[in-house]
Amino acid sequence: MSEPMGTVAGLVERSAAAYAAAVPVTPQDDGFFGPGSVTWRVSMDLAAPVAGLRSLLIQALHPLAMAGVDQHSDWRTDPVGRLAATSAYEVTVTFGDRAGATRAAQRVRAVHEYVRGVDTVTGQPYAAGDPVLLLWVHAALVDSGLAASALFGTPLTAADADRYVAEMTIAAELLGVPHEMIPDSVAALERYLAGLRPDLRRTPAAAESMSYLLDPPGLDEDIAELWRDIRDAAVLALPGWARQMYGYPEPPPLTAERRTEIRQALGVLDAVFLGEPGVLEARQRITARMRSASGTGKK
Amino acid sequence: MRARRLAIAAVIGGLSVAALTLLRGRRSARPRAGRLRVERGMAAVRLAARGGARYATSAPRLFASAGEHREALRNDLALQTAEDVAATLGTMKGVLMKLGQMASYVDDGLSPAARRTLSRLQDSVPPMSPELAAQVITEELGQPPDRAFATWDPEPIAAASIGQVHRAITRDGRAVAVKVQYPGIAETIEADLGNVGLLRRMLKITAPMQDVDALLAELRERVTEELDYRREARNQQMFARYYAGHPTIGVPGIVPELSTRRVVTSELADGARFAELVTWPQAERDLAAETIYRFVFRSLYGAHSFNGDPHPGNYLFHRGGRVTFLDFGLVKHFTPDELRPLVAMVKHLCVDNDPEGFRRAMEDAGFLMRGAPLPTDMIVEHMAVFYDTVRERGPRTMTGAYASSVTRRFFDFRSPLAAYVQIPRSYVILQRINLGLFALLGELSATADWRCIAEEIWPFVQGPPCTPMGAAEAGWRASRTRAGNPGPFGSIIT
Repeated sequence: MSEPMGTVAGLVERSAAAYAAAVPVTPQDDGFFGPGSVTWRVSMDLAAPVAGLRSLLIQALHPLAMAGVDQHSDWRTDPVGRLAATSAYEVTVTFGDRAGATRAAQRVRAVHEYVRGVDTVTGQPYAAGDPVLLLWVHAALVDSGLAASALFGTPLTAADADRYVAEMTIAAELLGVPHEMIPDSVAALERYLAGLRPDLRRTPAAAESMSYLLDPPGLDEDIAELWRDIRDAAVLALPGWARQMYGYPEPPPLTAERRTEIRQALGVLDAVFLGEPGVLEARQRITARMRSASGTGKK
Repeated sequence: MRARRLAIAAVIGGLSVAALTLLRGRRSARPRAGRLRVERGMAAVRLAARGGARYATSAPRLFASAGEHREALRNDLALQTAEDVAATLGTMKGVLMKLGQMASYVDDGLSPAARRTLSRLQDSVPPMSPELAAQVITEELGQPPDRAFATWDPEPIAAASIGQVHRAITRDGRAVAVKVQYPGIAETIEADLGNVGLLRRMLKITAPMQDVDALLAELRERVTEELDYRREARNQQMFARYYAGHPTIGVPGIVPELSTRRVVTSELADGARFAELVTWPQAERDLAAETIYRFVFRSLYGAHSFNGDPHPGNYLFHRGGRVTFLDFGLVKHFTPDELRPLVAMVKHLCVDNDPEGFRRAMEDAGFLMRGAPLPTDMIVEHMAVFYDTVRERGPRTMTGAYASSVTRRFFDFRSPLAAYVQIPRSYVILQRINLGLFALLGELSATADWRCIAEEIWPFVQGPPCTPMGAAEAGWRASRTRAGNPGPFGSIIT
């Protein structure tokens, strides 16, 4: 394992601070999704951390996407800052008003302009603004939201799952993916993911960053056990082919007891998250809007 | 012998720290993990102990007691379905809250971060929507609230233990407080208590000195009890009957026909909150303190029962020392065998001045290992602080400093006694006298001749009244005896 790497100290505080700041207090409008959307429900799901972890695992399997992160991102020195910034962006796009979400997307696109290079593994050039790569990252995220909720959260109906995929297309558009490229149903998403599989491989950078993520150095033994529950959940939620690429052993089938245990670990994590300043208020802002949306007969 | 202390408070302190420490990696090389873990546990214990005696009168509680008004009931966030309840209180959150509630009497001793986590969890529980509360009433009482009661206020007036409190008027015209349990909460919490692995892990992280299994058993028993309101109703009814006619102690009576597993209906009480009491003249505060003191020890020595939650939120105050006692969710009844050594300890130490007798009584109670290689005077010296207020006659002012010293001594795992002292499970709840009652009286800066009052109550002294309140109480006792209703609860039930 290569040294030196930053620790995960402050992961909870920093992602909580980012979360609290990203949920608007006085939004100008309902944003690109709105309180009646499936997207809001998926974002509020207990299984959301599993979805986040799973999507990173999948995203890293695209060599060019991984190369961009590996060569340009500060994840080695500041892994927590990297994760917090990503989750803050997702929260802004999901819960922010249209102007706020658009501004955030423009900032990301501006940064992407400078993320270019050549992947040392495949020898191919890459650019972070390339719609092909952006779409891959997007699809992994959406697919993970579905998979994590289905296994460990509140499963969506087939109709809601389709609605979620369709709603989320705007997120990819905001970053510059042409609308016609973006899968807008579960079936289309599955076709897209299957089609991209020949391009995927586990590069050394993917192996290194993901083993860091799954087993962060410096965690105390007992705490690491709890982290293991959440990480096992992410690995369990992966498609079989992704596990094979990483060389993870095939996990035993998910029993009801194990699912409950994982949800309980997620609950503890959530309780800690709620204890951070501003998080409860941010949650309440979202919940109040969702309740009033469902109360007015939208749902 | 392994010290086996069921110091729930310490563990909660630790638990919160554990929760906050979660996922915050430490770059600690861990060649001596065991030692580090012990140090961490000690830090947690110290954290819980430090200033732990100062009562947080304004600190948010994890489930306020009946009658306590919520600052702002967030009706816009109201829980509308049993699924909402499960999402809010399931997956360990309800269990964490119950743990926090058990420790709430030392919540001032927690670090700001730990306290924040616990109080945030409380704040995160919105009230039930009027429809959901009505649904529970219908399921439990067989008819909707507007038929079960003459008048029903659909807006809750308070958060309660795993539920909320509504005002109502019964069909026979009595004003009542109706506590309604969140639907599905019992199943949720029971399922989470079943994850012994996760609970053990969390307890182990921060409480290496504890017997985790005993602690878990205690937690499960307490929480399971509290999930069934019928038990609380029974206890409250017993206290209400025992103190019927008492000059200063009031306990709202239960309306049994409107009380079930998830609904408990009692007479509506009013009065000043603790926060208001502390602004009253000192003489009023002294009287309130005297009533609380009499209630605690009269209940213990007279009714063989202890109401385990001496928290400011559980009282309503009236001028002249009258206090209404509210929450009976955590009551312990003592058998004569359990009580006898406690009485003997007090008697030997405070009345007979017999250190060896005191030591024997401690051993009989199971507090002290028999044959511990410790001189008796050291044991007495260590334990005396707990009896400090009743060893000598004369007026004495309770202070926060005294309460803190009791707490510090209680948590003093470095004392030479630590290895030989333990708290048997049936006495665990009595720690709340040390940790809660003294803190409460200290907060009031209450002055009284506590020894003299204690002598009135001690069954082996039964001294004459030493205050006007004592005289009034003596009159009450005489009338009870005439009415043939003098004994502990056991004799009422049978």
